[in-house]
Amino acid sequence: MTGYAVHLVTLIGIYALMGVGYQLVFGHLGALNLAQGALVGVGAYATALLAPTLGLFAMPLAVVITGLLALLAAWPTLRLQSHYFALATLALAALINLAAVNIESVTGGANGLVGFGARLPHGVWLMALVWLCLIAAVVVQSWLFAGRLGDAARLLREAPLAAATLGIDGARWRLIAFAAGGALAGGAGASMAALNGVVSPEATGFAVMVACLMLVVLGGSRHPLGAVLGAALTVCLPELLRGFHAAWLLLYAVATLLVVLFAPEGLAGLFSPRRAPMASPEIPKRLPPAVGAETLALQCVRKRFGGVDAVSDVSLSLKRGEIVGLIGPNGSGKTTLLNLISGLERADSGAIRLDAEAIERWPTHRIARLGVGRTFQSRTQSVPLARVLAERPAFLLLDEPAAGLGERERQELERLLHRLRDAGRGVLIVDHDIELMSRVCDRLICLDRGVVVAEGAPAEVRANADVRASFLGVAA
Amino acid sequence: MAYALVALGFVLALNASGAVNFAHGALVVLGGAVAVALGGRAGLPAAILLPAVVLVLGAAGILTAHLAILPLAARPPEATFVATIALAAIVEQGLQLSLGAAPHAAPSLAGTGVFELGGVVVGRQPLAILVVGGGLVVAVWFLLERTQTGRRMRAVASDRTMARAVGIPVARYVTLSLGLAGGLAGAAGMLLGHQFLVSPTQGSDYMLKAYIAVAVGGWGSVPGALLGALGIGVFETFVSAAVGDGWASAALYVGVLALLMVRPRGLFGEPVGRRA
Repeated sequence: MTGYAVHLVTLIGIYALMGVGYQLVFGHLGALNLAQGALVGVGAYATALLAPTLGLFAMPLAVVITGLLALLAAWPTLRLQSHYFALATLALAALINLAAVNIESVTGGANGLVGFGARLPHGVWLMALVWLCLIAAVVVQSWLFAGRLGDAARLLREAPLAAATLGIDGARWRLIAFAAGGALAGGAGASMAALNGVVSPEATGFAVMVACLMLVVLGGSRHPLGAVLGAALTVCLPELLRGFHAAWLLLYAVATLLVVLFAPEGLAGLFSPRRAPMASPEIPKRLPPAVGAETLALQCVRKRFGGVDAVSDVSLSLKRGEIVGLIGPNGSGKTTLLNLISGLERADSGAIRLDAEAIERWPTHRIARLGVGRTFQSRTQSVPLARVLAERPAFLLLDEPAAGLGERERQELERLLHRLRDAGRGVLIVDHDIELMSRVCDRLICLDRGVVVAEGAPAEVRANADVRASFLGVAA
Repeated sequence: MAYALVALGFVLALNASGAVNFAHGALVVLGGAVAVALGGRAGLPAAILLPAVVLVLGAAGILTAHLAILPLAARPPEATFVATIALAAIVEQGLQLSLGAAPHAAPSLAGTGVFELGGVVVGRQPLAILVVGGGLVVAVWFLLERTQTGRRMRAVASDRTMARAVGIPVARYVTLSLGLAGGLAGAAGMLLGHQFLVSPTQGSDYMLKAYIAVAVGGWGSVPGALLGALGIGVFETFVSAAVGDGWASAALYVGVLALLMVRPRGLFGEPVGRRA
């Protein structure tokens, strides 16, 4: 191979390494991280600064430093929603760029750093190093995301709330992905420094970020080879289009836009057969016994939204092997109550306990792991229900499971509820089908404007004058 | 004031499409470039130039809506984000090719002289910026708050499904909002272009400022975005004067990061249930 070919192949490897790291955060978790480009720059600067004293060892150290910086940056930004996460990472990238330009004594300012590369690998050795790292990263990543982890990542990306109620800790996932992605960016930066022998502030600029984003989108943000394909295009396209000067970048951006519009899985997605949709989970034939707490109890739980008491001073308890129905008019606080129990909303006061354990301050995924599963109001309930049952929760919170069901499906649901009770699960149901609720529930609790107005056996509650007036629409 | 126009356009586009329009900064630069082309080379006078730039950029905004926003309405917000980043790169590279990388000065609005007003020396251009910018902000306020068209635009912004259910042609209003946002970007581009020159790569900086203004002022709140933008303008002016440009920008970004850590939903919070 000529020196020029080696240079190109190495460059493809470097871009792909950066892209694979970006796939972790952007592709698999759907978090729009706009600091990846700047992290590549950090890796490059770290290498340039350390190489004169450490030689080859500057490169792995740069990887570690960049990964740690990413970890540090990810910590406070984990809670942020998509657009704030993007802004925070953008601000971080801008800061890194400013530091590179302005802290001249360390970074050499606008001139950058030169003459550090004597003891770093060159030529074929560098190419081999980069591609070995790349192959390892691609193989590990596709192996990791092929199985259950991939499904969990998909759920986290597409339905974060449902993921939390199934016990998936989104914050931790993001932290790990961000750090690993940052480390790969650091590796790309270190190799870039070794390849070019020069590091300048452009290495931390937004253009690198845009190139990274475009190559991942173009190649395929989740396909194992997407980053490699995108990187190959990024490096080869300008070589092929030499006659057009800077026009290739324009062409590249147009191509990216077209891919976003017409091929969301990227170019790599076009070549590989479309993945069959995941088989819908089925409701298990046998319900194995669930382990966990025996009682779920709420004590004087209260939640205000603005000036309105959504839930005020509600106390109730649910035992294993018991089905309790929550009824009440629209807006009476039923769903809010379920949200409070599963930790999606925080109670203003009061206690929620699983046996003796107070869980009212715990994050959603921890509550889910203790065996409190739930479903949400949605058009079809059998798949979410099966998904929740697969986690074998001791307690189930079901939000309108009968909505939109036909008569036969309602009977199936009824049978399932009886089976759940027999298998020692505690079930709290919200539904408007009062006949169904009366048949399956051991107790009914009627809420009105956040207050429990009646509680007891179904027949008792239905006979209660307040319930008849407020909910059943019968004049008292 | 010019930042306020950038942020205003950004927040209008944001509300209409429910996603960040990353091409907004590029549209601002495009506005400056159009002003350079029409004013500097074709020699249009300022009085015709401003409306002309606004119209051209309005059309660019409508194009943005059709290319990168409406087709992706059903996809996650990240898709729009990426599409508009690509669009921004297209504009940037296109300008790079046609104008070259060297900065150009956009023509001024009202000449370059200064005059005295009650003993204070006032530059003609800053005053013109204040008047034109203020006028446009008031006009947008009037449109949104006092006309049926504006009411419908707000309806689309607050709940797209509901707006469709009551018979508002949502796509048309999204396009209209983007057109308006584009026009404001054009005006801002021309005003900023005279002060800070026009160079193709400035877009991401404008974008970041508008983004920060909106995040600080409350996601999707129009007055909040204006306040945020004015705040950034004042902050930059005074802090740069005290410690220099680099440190002022650094302080701004550190401030934003700190703010997001303490208040993950922006300084004034955001309307319940809104997701970008």
